[in-house]
Amino acid sequence: MWEFFARSLEASTIFTLAALGELINQRSGILNVGIEGVMLFGATLGFIAAQLSESYLLGFVVAIAIGGLLGLMHGFFSVTLGADQVVVGMGIWILGFGLTTYIGNPYTGPLGMDRIPTISGLSPFFYLGLVLVLVTWFVLSKTSLGLRIRSVGENPAVAEVSGISVARTRYLCVMVGGMLGGFGGAVYSLFYNPVWNYNFLMGWGFIALALVFFSTWNPWILLGGSLLFGTLWQLSLNPQLVLPGVMSRYLWRTVPFVTTIIVLLIMASKWFRIRWGAAKPEALGVPYLKE
Amino acid sequence: MLLEQVRHGETVLEARGITKRFPGVVANDGIHFEIRAGEIHAILGENGAGKTTLMNILFGLYQPDEGEIWIGGQQVKFRSPLDAIDLGIGMVHQNRRLVSAHSALENIILGHPKAGKILDLKRAEAEIGELCERYGFSVDLKAKVWQLAEGEKQVVEILKALYRGAKILILDEPTSALAPPETKKLLSSIQAMTQDELAIVPFITHKLPIVLAVSDRVTVLRQGKVTARLQTEGATEQSLAKEMVGREVIFRLERVKAEKGQPILQVEDLSAASDKGYLALKGVSFSICEGEIFGIAGISGNGQHELAEVLAGLRKAEAGTVWLDGTDITRASALERWRRGMGYVPAERVDVGSIGDFSLVENVTMNYYFDEDYCRGGVVRYRGIRRLTKEIVSEYSVATTGPDSKAKTLSGGNLQKLILGRVLSRKPRLLIANLPTQGLDVGATEFVRNKLIEAKKQKAGILLLSEDLDEILSLSDWVAPIYEGELMGIIPGEEARRDIVGALMAGSVTGGAAR
Repeated sequence: MWEFFARSLEASTIFTLAALGELINQRSGILNVGIEGVMLFGATLGFIAAQLSESYLLGFVVAIAIGGLLGLMHGFFSVTLGADQVVVGMGIWILGFGLTTYIGNPYTGPLGMDRIPTISGLSPFFYLGLVLVLVTWFVLSKTSLGLRIRSVGENPAVAEVSGISVARTRYLCVMVGGMLGGFGGAVYSLFYNPVWNYNFLMGWGFIALALVFFSTWNPWILLGGSLLFGTLWQLSLNPQLVLPGVMSRYLWRTVPFVTTIIVLLIMASKWFRIRWGAAKPEALGVPYLKE
Repeated sequence: MLLEQVRHGETVLEARGITKRFPGVVANDGIHFEIRAGEIHAILGENGAGKTTLMNILFGLYQPDEGEIWIGGQQVKFRSPLDAIDLGIGMVHQNRRLVSAHSALENIILGHPKAGKILDLKRAEAEIGELCERYGFSVDLKAKVWQLAEGEKQVVEILKALYRGAKILILDEPTSALAPPETKKLLSSIQAMTQDELAIVPFITHKLPIVLAVSDRVTVLRQGKVTARLQTEGATEQSLAKEMVGREVIFRLERVKAEKGQPILQVEDLSAASDKGYLALKGVSFSICEGEIFGIAGISGNGQHELAEVLAGLRKAEAGTVWLDGTDITRASALERWRRGMGYVPAERVDVGSIGDFSLVENVTMNYYFDEDYCRGGVVRYRGIRRLTKEIVSEYSVATTGPDSKAKTLSGGNLQKLILGRVLSRKPRLLIANLPTQGLDVGATEFVRNKLIEAKKQKAGILLLSEDLDEILSLSDWVAPIYEGELMGIIPGEEARRDIVGALMAGSVTGGAAR
């Protein structure tokens, strides 16, 4: 049971990191539907770097750097060129899917390094995740930078006449968001399940994306949602540990995805929009182009 | 900052020969004026006179092609609004520049250098509270902007500029969205500001009497040029209008008495929710007869928009009943209402009233595709609609290159004429006209009003929703001021007095509600 609990938290942490990055993105008005791709890149390149150098540190640094670069690329298309953000995001996902399959293929198999030690039986990244949630919440709601980010996401024209550079703020957010996505991917491939395989993530990034909507853009609700989804995910992998004999394990596999669909359906309902509508950044997904 | 210490009457801002050209038009042509500390200096002009361009230049959004701006005796160049703000210019936009999901306080301190890295909301609130007290503003700083009334949002913008240290306050149509009592409060606040040697520069198209009441000097623009510089003392409404328009203007409209007929529309206890989910229209009852104009006067956001949409079948009624010619149509679809003889002129002529990329013919089709005469077995008879479009274009004098040009090429006034024409050509029993003349210039406004009167003569019932009190008073047989979703009274047109209706619009029941 403890084992199950600890594994659930490890899974939750990955959701927390990736979704937190996406939340920062979205608060500045930029939608990146391609976090799956960012995570795949971070996970694969981090895995390769760690294996070749036999250094976890280098693995994580590479993962965070590539995540940041992909974030900046998303920023270049959606902020500077004003392209459709959904299309750019899908492009990043497909690029990540294809390119990591090609690059990672020779490294298929286990990482072959000592496991990262746990702290009182729990993943060290879990504690880091908690700190990052706290920091994100503090920055967004209590600081001048946070007010600038939120204003840019709500109404970039207003931010601009108040003397704020919309482009710079958004670039900062997409970069940090990408870094967190790449980091989350590396936590998967270097800690949670240190084996490289073709398309190993299988939808974690998309669940993280759904989590951001689920959270109504609030880091604390996002943390709660990650814990829920992490547990569900773990349950879907090993249902026999907790609920032996209830439903086929193939049905359990679908549970996180069915839950995602249900969450998104509720989010799309009129009731939800009216009740919580004000929470969504008004300029989300809308390119801001000066006349 | 160049305007740290200013003495009364000192020139704080000077525009020297400002010229700005756009493809095909000279928007500003050698504009020259000076603003002094502690004065209210109004800039007057019709739509298209170049006011907006001038404002954008003074706020650093546009760079002038020629000419210089001087502040406090030094020549300055604005590369962006930030430069203008830093030099002491504050701008209060007509289209509010506020983040609606944030609190008033957060909006005021947004981008302020003093906000610090970690926000000190308590200190900011105390400082802004002081400003409020000094100039007599009252606004809940913790409320979200979307919860505020139009007048309060304007106060937030003014506070934002003042908190930023503005010495020259540019106000874009400051009274256009305000009810008379709110206007009064604003004017007294403005006068308090001039005591502190601030220069106030309102840009104004309508409501000339207000200009006369408070301003010290007036600069009039026409077709991009300064046509007059006047002391307000000695000027009259007539003389100002003449300078603005370039000809004598008649301010009076005749109320036409049509023979009262059968009741067409009856509304009982009608309620509806706004987009945000709260009840915006609360149990409204009235009826409209043939040949009557029923005018609903109210400041935007008091439920009139929801009323228009419920009646047009675009919004669900939460409670109440609507009868059209005795038939209950409360649950009828928009299409059925059109078929039963209802016509709808939406307030949003660009977003709801037309499709910009469609031709005029196609836009006219939108009101005729369901009509047997113009559509057989699902095939639209474009030839007939083309003929009809040409008739509308000539009868309503829509300035266009032809029926096949796109709707987005029309100016606001011409688009409104087209929309009105396509609705009235159906000879509706009941016309719902929501803000039919908003944003139109004098000529188009006159035209639209005359068409409404013509429809009334042909026994149509008309529901007129407007923010323009003069329009309501001069056209309506019945005047119903609306406030927070309730009709404050239904007053016969001849008895409706400006001051009473104005007070009722602002929610003051002491105005003596007549029913």
